[in-house]
Amino acid sequence: MTHTLHRMGTKESLSGDYIFLMMPAFGINNADSAPKLRKFFEIALRHKPVNMGDAKRSNMHVLSTLELMDNIDKKGTVVHAVYDNEEAAARALKDLKDADLGLSLVVSGIFENVKKQCQKVGIHRHGVNYSLGIWGKTEKLPPENVLEITTMCGHGLVSAALVSSLAEDVKAGRKNAESAAKEMAKMCDCGVFNPVRAARLVAALAAA
Amino acid sequence: MRIDKDVCISCGECVRYCPMNAIKMDDVAIIDQDECVDCGVCHKAKVCPVDCIIYEEAPWPRILRAEFSNPTHSHASTGLPGRGTEEVKTNEVTGRLKPGWLAMAVEFGRPSTGARFRDVEKVAMALAGVGVKFEPVNPVTFLMADKSTGKMRPEVLNEKFLSGILECVFPREKGPEVLKTLQKVTREIDTVCSVDMMDLVEPDESIPMEKMLNQLGVFHRINGKTNVGFGRPKYKGGNQ
Repeated sequence: MTHTLHRMGTKESLSGDYIFLMMPAFGINNADSAPKLRKFFEIALRHKPVNMGDAKRSNMHVLSTLELMDNIDKKGTVVHAVYDNEEAAARALKDLKDADLGLSLVVSGIFENVKKQCQKVGIHRHGVNYSLGIWGKTEKLPPENVLEITTMCGHGLVSAALVSSLAEDVKAGRKNAESAAKEMAKMCDCGVFNPVRAARLVAALAAA
Repeated sequence: MRIDKDVCISCGECVRYCPMNAIKMDDVAIIDQDECVDCGVCHKAKVCPVDCIIYEEAPWPRILRAEFSNPTHSHASTGLPGRGTEEVKTNEVTGRLKPGWLAMAVEFGRPSTGARFRDVEKVAMALAGVGVKFEPVNPVTFLMADKSTGKMRPEVLNEKFLSGILECVFPREKGPEVLKTLQKVTREIDTVCSVDMMDLVEPDESIPMEKMLNQLGVFHRINGKTNVGFGRPKYKGGNQ
């Protein structure tokens, strides 16, 4: 379960980054999953996500939320919603628990905060997935302040060159940080990229 | 991916979108076919004013580049999009990871570098040597010629991709040996990999893997993923 894992950043920055993923287990409970995945989107929308997407389609910065909900694959897919604050994430978690959709839900974020949210609504966590960082030829990596942005697309579709170039655009006044972040978000098909956090980070990159 | 050189107007708009820096400007934009992973980002970005970026489905084994780099492209081996594996996202239903065991994923090429299957083979063979079990429903495992040794099919070794996940499980007590083996072999590869490990949460909310990682001095981030266990039917023999 890695495409919302390995997000880099400081504790302060990551405290505004919660990603919800819901999916069926293929061959077990995917046959009637489409209406449940649509319900996930409906519940997620109540709490003002900063991004939402379907791994087989695209995200809400490319398609409308109605398009996302109306075209869920009947055989099942993987859906996501991103929140930029802990309160919204906690409310979404409670509503999803109450909805009892019967599909697997994974919440990404700072572990101690997610644990607290789960305890608050009476959830015993099934399992955790820890990122042990980046191994191998790390000298090939772009700078850390660029990686803090690119790692928000776990499939690696937001290029380091695009981030650096958009930071230059922001610095030169050709774009504002928010529109730069939205341009990056369009590349991340699944909709797990957090454009609100990215805007803060690209502004800092431009000012560096 | 390729660029129709008769149509390209050399504006260079597509260059910065390529995650592999595979687009270079000459008289027109040119895609280095050996470095290109067919992720489709240059096309999807819709920045080409003359629409001259073309994706054509490639024959085997090059088709693997799109399967392992374009998340909307489902894997032929598993029928799943993304990296083609559920990993442990649905574990409360599938029971891939059982009590007393640990799961590990080594994700090659992530972040920002890409990888080739020859690097995957090097690591897979080292891990097979210490007795891990590779996840059967996984596109990387599917490409192995011998799942007991981690040897990959020879024709795929040079194929480059954005990210592919080698997944395995092993008894918890094997954890230190597996991690030491991985530390050693990843010094020999020509790319990076993001590594993660999963454990089940005990009834008292403790996580046994955390103690092991701390004892070994292995870094882990403060953030990560929590499977909150909403899926049904529950796998029989799981921890809840």
